[in-house]
Amino acid sequence: MTTPTTETTPARTLLLDPGMDLTLRPMRYPAFYEQYRAAIRNTWTVEEVDLATDVSDLGKLSTGEHHLVKRLVAFFATGDSIVANNLVLNLYKHINAPEARLYLSRQLFEEAVHVQFYLTLLDTYLPDHEERAQAFAAIEHIPSIRQKGEFCFRWIDSIDALDELRTVEDRRKFLLNLICFAACIEGLFFYGAFAYVYWLRSRGLLDGLATGTNWVFRDESMHMNFAFSVVDTVRSEEPELFDEELGRQVTQMLREAVECELQFARDVCGDGLPGMNAEDMHRYLRYVADQRLTRLGLPAVFGDTNPFPFMELQDAQELTNFFERRVSAYQVAVSGSVSLDEEF
Amino acid sequence: MTVVAAGVTVPPAPERDHFAAVRVEVSDCARDLPDTDPERVLSAVRSGGRAGADRVELRDLAVRAAAALIGEDPQYSRLAARLLARQIRDEVAEHGIVDFPSAIAVARTEGLLSVRTAEFVAAHAGELAALVDHAADDRFEYFGLRTVYDRYLLRHPRTDRVLETPQFFLLRVACGLAESVAEAAELYALTSRLAYLPSSPTLFNSGTRHPQLSSCFLLDSPRDELESIYQRYGEVARLSKYAGGIGISWTRVRSRGSRIRGTNGRSNGIVPWLRTLDASVAAVNQGGRRKGAACVYLEPWHADVEEFLELRDNTGDEARRTHNLNLAMWVPDEFMRRVETDQEWSLFDPADVPQLTDLWGERFDAAYREAEAAGKAARTVPARQLYGRMMRTLAQTGNGWMTFKDAANRACNQTARPDNVVHLSNLCTEILEITSDDATAVCNLGSVNLAAHLDRDELDWVGLADTVRTAVRFLDRTIDLTYYPTEAAARSNRRWRPVGLGVMGLADVFFRLRLPFDSPQALALSTRIAEEIALAAYETSVGLAERHGPHPAFPDTRAARGVLHPDHFPQADPVHPQRWAALRERVRRSGLRNSLLAAIAPTATIASIAGCSECIEPLVSNSFKRETLSGEFLQANPYLVADLKKLGRWDRATRNALKQSDGSVQGLDLPEELRRLYRTAWELPQKALIDLAAARMPYIDQSQSLNLFMAAPTIGKLSSMYAYAWRAGLKTTYYLRSRPATRIALATVAGAAPAGASPADDVTCSLENPDICEACQ
Repeated sequence: MTTPTTETTPARTLLLDPGMDLTLRPMRYPAFYEQYRAAIRNTWTVEEVDLATDVSDLGKLSTGEHHLVKRLVAFFATGDSIVANNLVLNLYKHINAPEARLYLSRQLFEEAVHVQFYLTLLDTYLPDHEERAQAFAAIEHIPSIRQKGEFCFRWIDSIDALDELRTVEDRRKFLLNLICFAACIEGLFFYGAFAYVYWLRSRGLLDGLATGTNWVFRDESMHMNFAFSVVDTVRSEEPELFDEELGRQVTQMLREAVECELQFARDVCGDGLPGMNAEDMHRYLRYVADQRLTRLGLPAVFGDTNPFPFMELQDAQELTNFFERRVSAYQVAVSGSVSLDEEF
Repeated sequence: MTVVAAGVTVPPAPERDHFAAVRVEVSDCARDLPDTDPERVLSAVRSGGRAGADRVELRDLAVRAAAALIGEDPQYSRLAARLLARQIRDEVAEHGIVDFPSAIAVARTEGLLSVRTAEFVAAHAGELAALVDHAADDRFEYFGLRTVYDRYLLRHPRTDRVLETPQFFLLRVACGLAESVAEAAELYALTSRLAYLPSSPTLFNSGTRHPQLSSCFLLDSPRDELESIYQRYGEVARLSKYAGGIGISWTRVRSRGSRIRGTNGRSNGIVPWLRTLDASVAAVNQGGRRKGAACVYLEPWHADVEEFLELRDNTGDEARRTHNLNLAMWVPDEFMRRVETDQEWSLFDPADVPQLTDLWGERFDAAYREAEAAGKAARTVPARQLYGRMMRTLAQTGNGWMTFKDAANRACNQTARPDNVVHLSNLCTEILEITSDDATAVCNLGSVNLAAHLDRDELDWVGLADTVRTAVRFLDRTIDLTYYPTEAAARSNRRWRPVGLGVMGLADVFFRLRLPFDSPQALALSTRIAEEIALAAYETSVGLAERHGPHPAFPDTRAARGVLHPDHFPQADPVHPQRWAALRERVRRSGLRNSLLAAIAPTATIASIAGCSECIEPLVSNSFKRETLSGEFLQANPYLVADLKKLGRWDRATRNALKQSDGSVQGLDLPEELRRLYRTAWELPQKALIDLAAARMPYIDQSQSLNLFMAAPTIGKLSSMYAYAWRAGLKTTYYLRSRPATRIALATVAGAAPAGASPADDVTCSLENPDICEACQ
């Protein structure tokens, strides 16, 4: 266990205390630094994703599936940019530990790679320039996407005016923003979108999209974990912030997020697709939302089970035939020096 | 639209009929599968069914719903496969096809088949139709059948609907290779039992208008000149167009900074050329069925070796990266000796030492030292520094496979004459054949499914030998029937007639016999399997030579000089010394029809068709998903599931625990014996894998696609492991498999991360926080 040591000084800095802490030694939160290093080891680039077969797959899609893919790409096109904006405008400003800011800087890079990936995807999927422009404008004119956008902006704006987290109220507001992006946006909106991609893949479609998404998924899982570690740390440093009202607000926020995403699901699924429809997606979202609540130490409120067996696959180890896909499991950083008699 | 009545969703009338029909089918298929619950499949069909769905669509949903439950119980695999088999039969029937000859007739009309095969079938229609055993479909697991359906069955060129059932497909492959009905029956009897499968190119193309049946091609390095390099690009493109994997050396091409006499400029080295090769390989996709793939070999004395090792990095200058090429090092013993003794290593421009590429063993050592003494080195580096760089590439990309030039040449039957040299291996590092500027090596492959040769709890040695005899005769036949995309390939293959018979399902055998991979019994059994296969294969090849004469280049082989492959391994202790002696005598009298016979290929796709484990590999996980072009499937180790069922432990809690541990059973409260047996590839000592490979080496006259596994590789561990592999006498190794540094949050294990966990909980082992790391304690 490493809670920051209490015996050093009574006036120690807390994670959310205002300021710009620059001291990396002694390190207050080595776990954040480890998360930063682990993230570096998972570097991937858009050029590694092979979209060649996707283009021919697109021709095979039914009208309904085509509609789904277009909506999905339109959402992805702006989703990661929004997350990146909040990171820069809010998270980086208030999480006051240099090792945590290292992680956030890395996360920002990953968001940029995701934006680049979905941009490349969009350019590949939509050869028509007019359609491309429309996809990026989706946040303006497609109601189901605009609604999600508004949900995000509301929570970005909620602490826009806060320069420093002085009061208990300020800190609670910040926590709500942090939790919103981790649990609702990265942890629910994106998880919903991933589910559509994996549904397509379970039908052997759009392998390139799925490969890239798999890596995005891996990154997003890390982002969410980091944010939850920050919440855990704040909870151990300032347990008084976590009162019943905060819990109520978080639960309400997740309910709203599920509702938002359900509207999107209705739009995306239309009259239903083989093996995918808005009702099942609704159940999946409630199931995921419960997981987020449980992770935050709050009671689950929906009590649903996962209706998507193909999501079970995402937890299993991959075994790739290299004729067919690139293995996504390799590490970027490796240490040590040559020796001939180590145990292996 | 659906109507809600009394809380139950009931589809309206016409859909109800379709649904009722699918309900009958599902119950029918599940009849003898007590651990499946047809209602679960049907409820998924009910909720997933789109308004207006017809029977085909509903059945497809049933197939997918059953497949999604395989992770819960392996019996769902059977259920899904049976439903899919019905789907396929209905689809085939759409074309008015009623039996095997009519399927062949339709495919012929559509221009898919060779005249030879179509006429053969027409001439023996009745007899061939009677061979078809549709009940054999029941041997397929879902993965296998899905793969066959998605990728192997012939399809109508316009409607894209399949024109053959799985059994028609296997019989078509047999007819494409057979000269009589009896021969076709013999091969079909093996393949329909999934006891033996030829490699994918043969399965794809046998009997068709483009019978390119060979798996691998090995091209000599282009000569150090522009025309030769461009000629190779063309050859690579032609070869990969027809579903072959390419190995190509680049060692002869001059390094960066080398003077170009014609223009008085300086060379940019090999990287720009390999970029072009990379683009070319990506452009040629194998008939849309799989992507072209190539592996480039380089010897570590080439002065561009460091840049070569960076070609697959995902950082750095994209203009110097080749994401589609695989990379392998062709390492002479002299390099490894200098690593061992921590000496300097000289790097050369091949333009200055063109002789090195064509030398191996002591003659290479002498020439290398002579070149050093003559001051020809471009520069020197500590051997260990370069070796460390190779290890880094392996850890970071899995690529940069370590293959050993001298071991490969020393025991090769084709290298009796000093001017015949093995210059590289192939795409999967199991083929070792000589090449030269105008001779491209070719290999035809097939693999015996060891799991299909278990008779209760023993290996059926007689049956295994029978399978091998049939397999070798048909592999040999392939040499005469295959279409050669280049003249250089045709020439060499007809002279040497090499084939590569391998195995799959070794892990299944070990599970069935309850032998841990690192037990002495496993080592003895695996070695004996290799010996039995080698003996039967050589005996068959001698038999063919007695009838048709030895292969034309036989006088240039070591066998012609009385040396058989096991003779290179004095430590080998054959189970059948007298059979070897008798074989030796027959070889002396009649020669061999094939210069090489054994090679253990990775078998990824054909093992999934056969429903067995891949070649000689341990399982990487007891619960994993398989990704192929046909989508993803979940698979749990069926042997483990059976054991857990016996203990009453195959429940949701265990499945979740298995998932959270990445398919490891080490954290489960199980008897020690089971935990030992079900260790994954990550948990087994890699020494054991290397020892198994080294022990079977005397009986593998080509080589083995040997993957090695290390979850968290370090340079120290890797360098020790590969030095051990070299000392053990391995000819080649294949991928280094490692694991991602971080992983996706489990999406479907409720409460995976407990609330209130402190950030310290997910800390990994690190020098940054020695006080809190418990991973090593």
